Amino acid sequence: MIKITVNGREVEADPTKPLIAACDDSGIDVPRYCYHPAMEPKGSCRICQVEVSEGGRPGRVMAACRTQVSEGMVVNTEADGAHDARRECLEFLLKNHPLDCPICDKAGECTLQDYSFQEQQAAGRTGEPRANLEKRVDLGDVIMLDQERCILCTRCVRFQEEVTKKPELTNAGLASNSYITTFAGRPLTGNYQGNLADVCPVGALTLKPFRFKARVWNLEKSSSTCAECSRGCSISVEVLRRGDVKRIRPVFNPDVNQWWMCDTGRFSFPEVNDPERLLGGLVANGADLMGSTTGEAIKHAASVLSTSGSKVLIASPFLTVEEAERVQPLAAAIGAELLFVSPDANDLKDDLLHTGDPCPNRKGLENAGFRGISPKDAADRVTGADAAVLVGERILKLLGGFDLGATKLVTFDTTACLASGVEACIATPFYVEKAGTWINVDGHEGELTIARPLPSSVSPLETSLEELTKTLSRTGASV
Amino acid sequence: MSNFETYLTSRMTGDDSHTLAAYKKNGGYATLERALKEMQPADVTEAVKASGLRGRGGAGFPTGLKWTFMPDPAKDPRKRYLAINADESEPGTCKDRVIMDEDPHGLLEGILLACYAMKCEASYIYVRGEYRHQYDRTAAAIVEAREAGLIGKNILGSGFDCEIHMHKGAGAYICGEETGMMESLEGKRGHPRPKPPFPAGFGLWGQPTTVNNVETIFNVPFIVDKGAEWYRTMGSESSPGNFLVGISGNVNKPGVYEAPLGTNAKELLEADHFAGGVPEGRKLKAWFTGGSSTGMMSADTIDVAMDHDSVKAAGTMLGTAAMIILDDSQCVVRAMQIIARFYDHESCGQCSQCREGCQWLHQIFKRIEDGQGRDGDIDLLTSIGNGMAPGKTICALADAAAIPAHMMVKHFRAELEEHIRDGGCKINKTGKYAPQSAPEPAEAQA
Repeated sequence: MIKITVNGREVEADPTKPLIAACDDSGIDVPRYCYHPAMEPKGSCRICQVEVSEGGRPGRVMAACRTQVSEGMVVNTEADGAHDARRECLEFLLKNHPLDCPICDKAGECTLQDYSFQEQQAAGRTGEPRANLEKRVDLGDVIMLDQERCILCTRCVRFQEEVTKKPELTNAGLASNSYITTFAGRPLTGNYQGNLADVCPVGALTLKPFRFKARVWNLEKSSSTCAECSRGCSISVEVLRRGDVKRIRPVFNPDVNQWWMCDTGRFSFPEVNDPERLLGGLVANGADLMGSTTGEAIKHAASVLSTSGSKVLIASPFLTVEEAERVQPLAAAIGAELLFVSPDANDLKDDLLHTGDPCPNRKGLENAGFRGISPKDAADRVTGADAAVLVGERILKLLGGFDLGATKLVTFDTTACLASGVEACIATPFYVEKAGTWINVDGHEGELTIARPLPSSVSPLETSLEELTKTLSRTGASV
Repeated sequence: MSNFETYLTSRMTGDDSHTLAAYKKNGGYATLERALKEMQPADVTEAVKASGLRGRGGAGFPTGLKWTFMPDPAKDPRKRYLAINADESEPGTCKDRVIMDEDPHGLLEGILLACYAMKCEASYIYVRGEYRHQYDRTAAAIVEAREAGLIGKNILGSGFDCEIHMHKGAGAYICGEETGMMESLEGKRGHPRPKPPFPAGFGLWGQPTTVNNVETIFNVPFIVDKGAEWYRTMGSESSPGNFLVGISGNVNKPGVYEAPLGTNAKELLEADHFAGGVPEGRKLKAWFTGGSSTGMMSADTIDVAMDHDSVKAAGTMLGTAAMIILDDSQCVVRAMQIIARFYDHESCGQCSQCREGCQWLHQIFKRIEDGQGRDGDIDLLTSIGNGMAPGKTICALADAAAIPAHMMVKHFRAELEEHIRDGGCKINKTGKYAPQSAPEPAEAQA
């Protein structure tokens, strides 16, 4: 490490990285379009201008992403010359920009807007007609390209070249007729296309599932952990007006997912927007199921469990560490082994992020003494018992393909159980409505925060489990 | 006739000057043979350094010095390359074309000497795509030379190995920029690379590479043969040697001429053994010193010595020494618009300033020429030029586009103002002067 001075403050800088990285590390924001810390600096957008002085010589304005740091370098990111250069650059970048912010999904988180505001570059002097390019180029299932908004930073091209190592995009044409396209116009493939919209600094690459769905300033963003595999990527869950999750995006986490996430995780949000979700509880009434409160359903569950013979408990691999702690006393109370459903690895595994293991908290459950069994094995154990407790998000889905016989069932899930032996269903939160922890494949803790308030008729799973355990012990005492 | 020694064009006579037989008759490859036998590689570099040869590709960088930037092969065992820039695309420039057409073996001998000096194992000649004939001539010369044991393994029994490959460009001006050319040679889009790293450290395929212009390398065998002292007897103190001047436009005898560096531009334009002046009855109006990027200057600047430092002192660059001459029958605004259109078409599109700025300059010049100029356009042109250059982008194309715009405003502001004020071009009959809308006789305007 070497020492440089940035805006009057002495900071440490890594000599193998460009100046802009040193500014980032010391918390000083320098505008950037083409620069992305995950990619080789290209130096083509020219917005990252800062004033640099070496060896006491007068300062020169240069691009921070292509400037090598040197011992004693003095940097001023707020120099007048630097601001002038950025304003000049912005005026050029906006020369052909369609300025369709009112209908652009990026508006509100677009760095063209942000830097124009920051540098006070509001008025352009161009009176020339603006470029007339393709506004809707369909690049496959995930991405829509608007060539007019594109500023040709080529982050998308380099993301594929350098991160996924499967280049499908290229810069075509020359000069002011340059545009981004796919090779031979083929649609994009792969499980990491959504990241292209994240790396795009403007509204050129937008996510088709998010187009015109929400204005980003109306989204409430909470950090969470992705549920779709044991990688547990750090994510931002973005909820519109306390209702549906409209978007999931990766959050930078150097230990787990860097800046990225896969499309499987990114587009998993319909799962948590289920309009058919179970509210309150359901209690068996003869051959029918009757709506109830969770309290009533728990009471019924306790009476069923306390009067049944052999009992098993099957947990979902989506249980949090904290929920697993509440399952332990319940399992002890009914004399059941600690088991969780562990489906076979799926074929989504790749060499970037996806592990192929659909259990987001496998490590956490194993640490808590749970043993993974196949869905088939789990179903067999259920049918072989008099009563079974199925607990955790998606447990019914995981066992959905199996006949659970006439075993009396008590379920804790977001949906209702429709098996013939069902006695009580207790509604539970989706993972985006929980606070808790998952432990990923490498032992990193992933935090879940409450991104959306729980419906009033649904209790946190911990509370329901505690309630059931307590009721069981009271029932047991009274018997 | 001329009263100076010529050497560059001395062999370019007869119909067979491009053949090995003719070249050998004129003493061809004797210098290479002598160098391989009697000289150490460092001696060759030293001779070129002592000669003061400056690059003929436009920047005028001392060639010998450039060669010494290559890392020491004892410390850096990587492969080393020489890349020859024959992507002669600068508007007005056609000197390398003559060399490849008439004397390709002279170029090959220069390449072999340079490779020997820098211990390069291979050289790549990047030829402009449109130069098909020149490509074929040079490719044929390579075949001849290889058959004669002059290219390949163990050249002339000396133990020195060197390959020469050719590559055709696809017609992009930007591939004449040295790093854009290397990208193109590697099979990628010709997008210039940011510097540093410089080619000597990280060039073709990441290996140490020197990039030289055709005419520069063509000078090398003469220097090695006759010595640096002889070389310095020609040309000027800071720019020794002769150069090839391509003179085009409104002149009686357009063509490529050999002259000592430092020859007065007025002489080059007017002398009978050069371009022979502008056509009878017309007057010089504007001229380019060395290709379109050097910008247009007014007629009163023509009395200048054509060498790097004198032209620089006159406010522009020697460039490729391609003089373009415009007489008073031409509209300079129209000429400028054509040049701006060229850069708008040829910018690689990487850097924001260049991509958008080149287009913007062209749009404004076109409007002015067409009679839709606005108040404030001239200041806007200057401001756009200042936003593009100097040194604000990855490569110098933005500079090459901005300089002509600046020169235009500096030398021909009155013409621009007149176009804007009159709402059209008198010479090209646009805007107000367009035949259908302006039937009045020309006198009415005066």
